[in-house]
Amino acid sequence: MKVSRNKPGTATLKKKRWTRSDTTAWLLMLPMVLVMYLMIWRPTVMGAVWSFFKMKGYSVDKFIGLENFRLVVTNTQFLPTLWNTVQYVFWSLVIGFLPPVVIAVILNEMVHFKSGFRVTIYLPAVIPGIAGMLMWYYIYYPDQTGLLNMLFGKLGIEPFNWLNNSKFVIPGIVIYMSWQGFAGTMLLYYASVQSVSAELYEAALIDGAGIWKRAWHVTRPQLAGILLLNLVRQIIAVFQVMEQPLAMTGGGPNGASISLAYQLYLYGFNSGGKATGQAMALGVIIFLILIVFTCFYFWINKRIEDNY
Amino acid sequence: MKKRKCEKRSKALRVIALATVLALTAGAVGGCAGGKDKDAQGRTRVSVVWPQKEGPSLDKMEARKVTYEENNPDAVIERDSWQFDLKTFYAKAAGGQLPTVYDTNFTEIPQIIASEYSADLTDVLKKRGYEGKLSDKVLEVISRDGKIYALPYTAYVLGLGYNTEMFEAAGLMEPDGTPKQPKDWNEVAEFAQKIKAATGKPGFVFPTANNNGGWIFTSLAWSFGAEFVKQDADGNWQAAFNSPEAAEALQYIKDLKWKYDVLPSNILVDDKEYYKTFATGNAGMIITAGDYPRKVVQYDMQPEQSGIMAIPAGPKRHVTLMGGGVCCIAPNSTEDQIDAAVRWIEMTTNFNATDEYKDSVKKDIEIKLGENQLIGIKDMSIWSADTEAVEYRNGLIDKNANINTNHVKLYNEFVENMPCEVQAEVPVCAQELYGILDNCIQEVLNNENADCAQLLESAASEYQTNYLNNIDY
Repeated sequence: MKVSRNKPGTATLKKKRWTRSDTTAWLLMLPMVLVMYLMIWRPTVMGAVWSFFKMKGYSVDKFIGLENFRLVVTNTQFLPTLWNTVQYVFWSLVIGFLPPVVIAVILNEMVHFKSGFRVTIYLPAVIPGIAGMLMWYYIYYPDQTGLLNMLFGKLGIEPFNWLNNSKFVIPGIVIYMSWQGFAGTMLLYYASVQSVSAELYEAALIDGAGIWKRAWHVTRPQLAGILLLNLVRQIIAVFQVMEQPLAMTGGGPNGASISLAYQLYLYGFNSGGKATGQAMALGVIIFLILIVFTCFYFWINKRIEDNY
Repeated sequence: MKKRKCEKRSKALRVIALATVLALTAGAVGGCAGGKDKDAQGRTRVSVVWPQKEGPSLDKMEARKVTYEENNPDAVIERDSWQFDLKTFYAKAAGGQLPTVYDTNFTEIPQIIASEYSADLTDVLKKRGYEGKLSDKVLEVISRDGKIYALPYTAYVLGLGYNTEMFEAAGLMEPDGTPKQPKDWNEVAEFAQKIKAATGKPGFVFPTANNNGGWIFTSLAWSFGAEFVKQDADGNWQAAFNSPEAAEALQYIKDLKWKYDVLPSNILVDDKEYYKTFATGNAGMIITAGDYPRKVVQYDMQPEQSGIMAIPAGPKRHVTLMGGGVCCIAPNSTEDQIDAAVRWIEMTTNFNATDEYKDSVKKDIEIKLGENQLIGIKDMSIWSADTEAVEYRNGLIDKNANINTNHVKLYNEFVENMPCEVQAEVPVCAQELYGILDNCIQEVLNNENADCAQLLESAASEYQTNYLNNIDY
């Protein structure tokens, strides 16, 4: 009797009544649901709703329609800031996308000191973010006391002004971000590479494939799914870059490293409460841009899950 | 048997779940408790921003609380762990969670008043005899439409800070330890070159980031005759710094880098970097206010290593910027709370040299001495006439000076005689203006061919379009 009631697809299951165990389950989930509601759902929804309101400091004043959006979009710095953000994404793909894959493959091919290298490579990921930023701030320091300029000095090259240079500042920050983040991604790739069946490599070896051919014809197809997933994830994450320019350059030189999320922070916390509404409007704009990527991400994710 | 075990387990789960929910609800309700203005004994509650680190500052506050409660049995002081921070201030204020007494600075006060996050103190101050006591310059900053919204506890003006050892090395010091005073900005550039020639270190540092550059630049540009905003007949604000005078001031900053080569290589200089550069002996001079010793002490700059003198004159005006600290009272406070809070503030800011005030000043100096901060620099008076309190404070500073007082003599004379104009900050969208000016400064320090007039033209238009045109208060 019990078995038939729980049989999937039967009419009884659809009409299943609220049971005691459901109550217990919801009671147990309630604290988490409350926290999610208070910390994630409500602020997100209210942020979007209040972006249509005039704010007095952080208090809601009156409905003003799209005025906050108009102020954000017509701000003369909006397009340059959007362009900076796109540059962050572009450089992060150029600089940071492939190294983790390459290192994962190299690590996989290594015979000696494998675990030693694995630990060493993972080290940047365990350095706290702010400490890492400060470290790189001094690596890039533009006078002779900066680490890179010390090296330049030894080589007889004139010191370079690194993060003070408006053309280098975004790639410079992206180099730090890639250094900090690549180890975690590398581990993901490494796990995928390791799951490639050894028989495939053996077969390729018998067919006379060298390391490059093995990497291209055996490893690459196995990694394609996760590569695509990480590509979308990276675009979404880097699009929201904020704390790195905040800590390393303050958005300078001459606004060359201000990102959209940093501008949102300035609206929200550096305007003396005058631009809280604009901060929320910009949040909605960023959300709308990212939702496109996010839908794409879920679509790919589903396809990959279906395939593997 | 198994079934019973299961039932037992599910019962236990239900109990845990219920207990959790109850605990959370109790927590939430508990969080809502309080907010009343009287405690159980009927005393008026005054919550105050409290030091969090153990040490002399905390001890001082605890002692002050005891004294206050002894002398004011109708009130009780409650400790609040929040410290003023612009990032959290407006959220706290909107939530009605501000402590009764909080302190902020001159830059923020116009916006706080406009947002109605500071209580009107006019009546209480009148009742307590403050009418006509506060100086006009200070009153201008803390009032709006004839109402007073804050009580200042310190005021300062910008001067020229310098490194005594570097001045000595460059031959810019008299034998008695009095520095040579540069009369104008050109002389500052000359001094900076001498310092660089003698020590190999940059002679001057100018801030450029996190709005600090813009803040200092406004006062420099005033002395070149520049104005930043003007109000037209309809009351609308117009950006006014697309002028030859402002361009000349920006050109001066540009020359410090490209013509005189006396600035550090780093052009992204925020507040921390600014004081660190100066305190670690990597710049000979700095534009700063009399309260700077507290900012350099963390880099182990010794009191004898630094000094301060008057701000030099510009080609058009001799002018300096006034800043300071104020105490505000939360807007939702009751009349009793405002009254009790003002009595608390009076322990540290008072035109009468009361015993409480004297004790507070004495302890303050002791704490600074303990931290190896320079003692010897005097504040600008916030009062309209000479008062016993200021006299007492200055006497104590002289008595406890831990330096050759000639190092700071020129600044103290400057503050006392005030031979120049004193100007308050731009009253509208100040932080936004400073941010835009930061960008201009960074550009001229980065680009040898930058056109100052052109830069300021687009900066003024940006300031007008993005901010001044959208003012709605």
